[in-house]
Amino acid sequence: MSRLRDRLLRHRASAEEVMEEPSADTASPVDADAASVEGMEEAEHETLSPLWEGLDVQLTDTANGSFLRREAKYPLSYQHGLHRLEELRASVKGLAAFRAVSAVERNRTIRQEQFDAANRTPLDPEKVLFLDLETTGLGVGTGNVPFMVGIAYMSGEAFIVEQMLIRHPAEERAMLTYLCGKLPGFTHLVTYNGRTFDWPLLLNRLILNGFRKFTWEPLHIDLLHPSRSVWRNTLVSCRLSHVEEERLGITRDDDVPGSLAPAIYFQFLADHNPQPLLGVFRHNETDMLSLACLAIRFGHLLAGQLGAYVQQRPESEELLRTGLWLEKMGAMLLAEPIFAQLADDGSASPACLLMLAERDKKCGNWTRAVLLWQKVVHAAESSLWPDWKAHIELSMYYEHKTKQIQSALSLAETALSLAQKRYLGLRLDAKRREELEGIRKRIDRLRVKIGRLSG
Amino acid sequence: MNRWTGKASGLEEWLQLLKGQPEIMANVTHWHTIPPREPRTAAMPQDIHPKLAEALAGRGIERLFVHQAEAYLAVRKGDHVVTVTPTASGKTLCYNLPVVQSLLENGSGRALYLFPTKALAQDQVAELQELAAAMDVDLKTNTYDGDTPPTVRQIIRNAGHIVVTNPDMLHSAILPHHTKWVKLFENIKYIIIDELHSYRGVFGSHVANVIRRLKRICRFYGSNPQFICASATIDNPREHAERLIGEDVSLIDNNGAPMGEKHFICYNPPVVNKQLGIRRSSVLETRRLAASLLRQGVQTIVFARSRVRVELLLTYLQELVKDELGTKTIRGYRGGYLPKLRREIERGLRNGEIRGVVSTNALELGIDIGQLQACVMNGYPGTIASTWQQSGRAGRRQGTSVTFLVASSNPLDQYMIQNPDFFFNRPPERALIHPDNLLILIDHVKCAAYELPFERGEKFGDEPLEDMLEFLAEEKVLHHAGDRWFWMEQSFPAHGISLRSAAQENFIIIDRTEGSRVLGEVDRFSAPTLIHEEAIYIHEGVQYQVEKLDYPEKKAYVREVDVDYFTDANLAVELKVLHVDKERETGELLRQYGELTVNAKATIFKKIRLGSHENIGSGPIHLPEEELHTSGYWFSFSEEAAARKSTNDMQQALLGLSNVLVHIAPLYLMCDPQDIRVVPQVKAVHTKRPTIYFYDRYPGGIGLSERLFEVHDKLLSQAKSLIRACSCLSGCPACVGPIEEVGLLGKSLALDLIEQAEIVG
Repeated sequence: MSRLRDRLLRHRASAEEVMEEPSADTASPVDADAASVEGMEEAEHETLSPLWEGLDVQLTDTANGSFLRREAKYPLSYQHGLHRLEELRASVKGLAAFRAVSAVERNRTIRQEQFDAANRTPLDPEKVLFLDLETTGLGVGTGNVPFMVGIAYMSGEAFIVEQMLIRHPAEERAMLTYLCGKLPGFTHLVTYNGRTFDWPLLLNRLILNGFRKFTWEPLHIDLLHPSRSVWRNTLVSCRLSHVEEERLGITRDDDVPGSLAPAIYFQFLADHNPQPLLGVFRHNETDMLSLACLAIRFGHLLAGQLGAYVQQRPESEELLRTGLWLEKMGAMLLAEPIFAQLADDGSASPACLLMLAERDKKCGNWTRAVLLWQKVVHAAESSLWPDWKAHIELSMYYEHKTKQIQSALSLAETALSLAQKRYLGLRLDAKRREELEGIRKRIDRLRVKIGRLSG
Repeated sequence: MNRWTGKASGLEEWLQLLKGQPEIMANVTHWHTIPPREPRTAAMPQDIHPKLAEALAGRGIERLFVHQAEAYLAVRKGDHVVTVTPTASGKTLCYNLPVVQSLLENGSGRALYLFPTKALAQDQVAELQELAAAMDVDLKTNTYDGDTPPTVRQIIRNAGHIVVTNPDMLHSAILPHHTKWVKLFENIKYIIIDELHSYRGVFGSHVANVIRRLKRICRFYGSNPQFICASATIDNPREHAERLIGEDVSLIDNNGAPMGEKHFICYNPPVVNKQLGIRRSSVLETRRLAASLLRQGVQTIVFARSRVRVELLLTYLQELVKDELGTKTIRGYRGGYLPKLRREIERGLRNGEIRGVVSTNALELGIDIGQLQACVMNGYPGTIASTWQQSGRAGRRQGTSVTFLVASSNPLDQYMIQNPDFFFNRPPERALIHPDNLLILIDHVKCAAYELPFERGEKFGDEPLEDMLEFLAEEKVLHHAGDRWFWMEQSFPAHGISLRSAAQENFIIIDRTEGSRVLGEVDRFSAPTLIHEEAIYIHEGVQYQVEKLDYPEKKAYVREVDVDYFTDANLAVELKVLHVDKERETGELLRQYGELTVNAKATIFKKIRLGSHENIGSGPIHLPEEELHTSGYWFSFSEEAAARKSTNDMQQALLGLSNVLVHIAPLYLMCDPQDIRVVPQVKAVHTKRPTIYFYDRYPGGIGLSERLFEVHDKLLSQAKSLIRACSCLSGCPACVGPIEEVGLLGKSLALDLIEQAEIVG
């Protein structure tokens, strides 16, 4: 042994890839092993070391061993940020629209009839499960272990957050046994980024731990997707912790960032002091509550409660994107008033109006599209470095739809002068050159057309 | 006009004409004719599925060659199999036949094909898909590599019958995500490893460990696949296969494929300076022979040993034949060309649009370029196995083919060309791997632990596994709980581990002549000597000068230039012995094997004129030192021996001797000469005596110097006979080195040193 270790250490000393230095304050690994074996024996005796005091965990036994569980009960009147947990009952109705969610993910718009049909099917709020994992690494490779599984659900007059923790990786099987007993009681799964992370990872763990035959096929609602649809540009990041702070009115004190969770867990594995894990428990617990509030928010939106239960934001782009998202989810009737409001709103940004015009153009609502482009063109006159996309759009409209070639030409010429003004003093890269070239070609073509008409 | 260029009616007549030319024949040291071989066939096995038999018949295959039939039967019997047959012998059918048959019998079965490169994988998929189409059965065959679009990946994972991939992809994408491949691993029946001989050295040692991991995952899913391997001719195919896959295998080497007549001509460029032992440049002679073949309309492949030589020859040949054939019909081919360009060249060769190609050993592997008629090797490829592989590129089942081996002046080439028996009568080299190299092994133990926790009592390699697991647990990479060791780290271990080379990352070369585009890449070890600032980098026959080398970012910026020189860099090396593992003393010689660290630094470069190869200038190289921890073998002369010579004489004797040794060492190793390094020291730090060091150019060593330690006696006596037999007066590039390097007495000093040491021993 010592010979091999010597060799390994010698290699390591010169190997480029430096493994992490063991920190000085950890117990020696020999002790650690002894302690972990002790820990397991203790488990068999159904007692938990006093070190765990203050973490509110309880030992949970299964046919495949034991693990720790922590349970927190919130009354439904509990207010987390802007929302109360009891709002879940009402907003769940809206969440039913996610029934056809897989179509949305394939980037298809759901029809209003489908939306209505989904809404007619009652959704039991107690059948919705919220899930969030804390794992030892990144990615969904087979070596990434969820050391903590948080689930939450409504039960009677309470909202319950259950958190499972494994004291060492050998307890994973016990934890999964418990989880597999729980899951089939629910019909809906709500996560944040769970489609690409939490859920596939959990499936990995089930396969690895001998639960290959276990099946549970809930309707999976990943709230990251609507969050991105709505806040893509108005929030700097769509991380849950950022979204909740900016839009759900939630502030966390002394939060342990999720990125530190693996290191804290590794430290616990090395020194067996569970106290720092409390921070991870709390972080995960808050995540679960925020997840519920986010579900409430999107549920309200789908139930037509914008402006009532959900405050309307001043950012016109956010409002527009909310409308576009509702439209994509099949709630056409909820989206249209938003669009109408934006079209009338004098303060909406040109970029926003252009986006709405683009939407109108696609679905053939030319009247409003033209109106919006004209608004933007008009606004350009009083702006310092205006954009010329509306000029081009309008020019195309006049050329092809109404055959007003002269108007089309003058708009294209204005567009060219705006573009030249904007690019003055800037290096003309290939893209810009191409853009200018495109406008010139348009002008030339229009001039030829005019010549032909007059000649 | 050169008489050579008078057109002959065919290759046979051209060869006859060649025999009538004394100025050529004077340089031909050996003309070996391999007679045509008749096919030996066996009936199609009884149990072959009618659809399969019909599809084969549709391609003209009614009977099998004997080796194909034997392979089929051995696989059906349940054996792991390795087939060893030359190029163009129909070896793919050796594995496709049993695999496809099995899939026709049971549609839920799966097979995994491994090829060393993506190009080979794509060829194979095309072939299997054609076969499936001919049979009109739903046999899903797909490549799974870095180019596979994400949308298709999921379908392949669940539904692909045959997944064709490479070891790197298996290592970094499939095994660490094996839970997504449940269907494959539960039902896998066969694992095909083609080009087995290419898995040697460092790469092979890594791949052996990847296969250990693969078998471990198969066991987890309750499958126990059979391995079917195919290899080019090497000395130890069975042993190599068994080491690589860790199972007993049956060897099939009874080649039944026909072959046309084959001429193998050894050509030694004439001596132009007897005193200095200088021969005419092998590059120029290669050019002459290749140009003559090309003008004759013979599709020809030219192999050169280095990238630089490839580019030089390409430039020369394109220039020579541009009026008759056009430059686009002669192409270069080497690592560092981007895949798209390579595919284009391969296609051109197959359909005959490209008449000539100049390649490094990159085309030695079974990439489908059809069969050419002639092969010209510029320099001995380094191993007997490679030589046969390269020569096999020319040769069809019918018709004559020719191979020229044009010797360079290096000692190994000269030895081979003057002792053709050594080549024609000796088995090819052994493929060596060292899967238990500690650094390689521990890397894969990490990857394996990531994939699946280790359990007490498990085996992985020949080193004590539990010690390694404990070590990794202490390093906080694994966590030990109960009887198992779990991966407990945030990283993804496979990402940091490259199977291919010690250089984990390549340097990319960016051409800034016009805008910026990626020209190619070089590995980290070669970077300091190939793409230092001011170096001339040649790509597709065009010269580029390196303007800036961004070492931390691993990028070299080059600009096209037109100069009449190329550059050659010097590497200064420092050695420190860490540990002696083996030791033997014979007479005045002490030889040892152990671990050492090597510090290497590129110091200066020389500018060498094209054509005349004279030195026309030099400059410094400012790059950081590279450190390597590896295994080495060295021998030192006693103090008495040292006392018999002046320091200066000893210096030259050692230098001369190492020049010989570095060239003949590869005779005993199936390795690239670049993989092993030799360093002479008059007064070594470790022994305080005159010493010659050999070391493996890979962290941790890969068993090369250990093997040399074992064949030490033979190595020295071979060196002695080579020096003695050399016809030069006092040292030449073909033995101890040119007198400019080793001095006027270099040859006798080296011989003296070796003889005295031996006499006493």
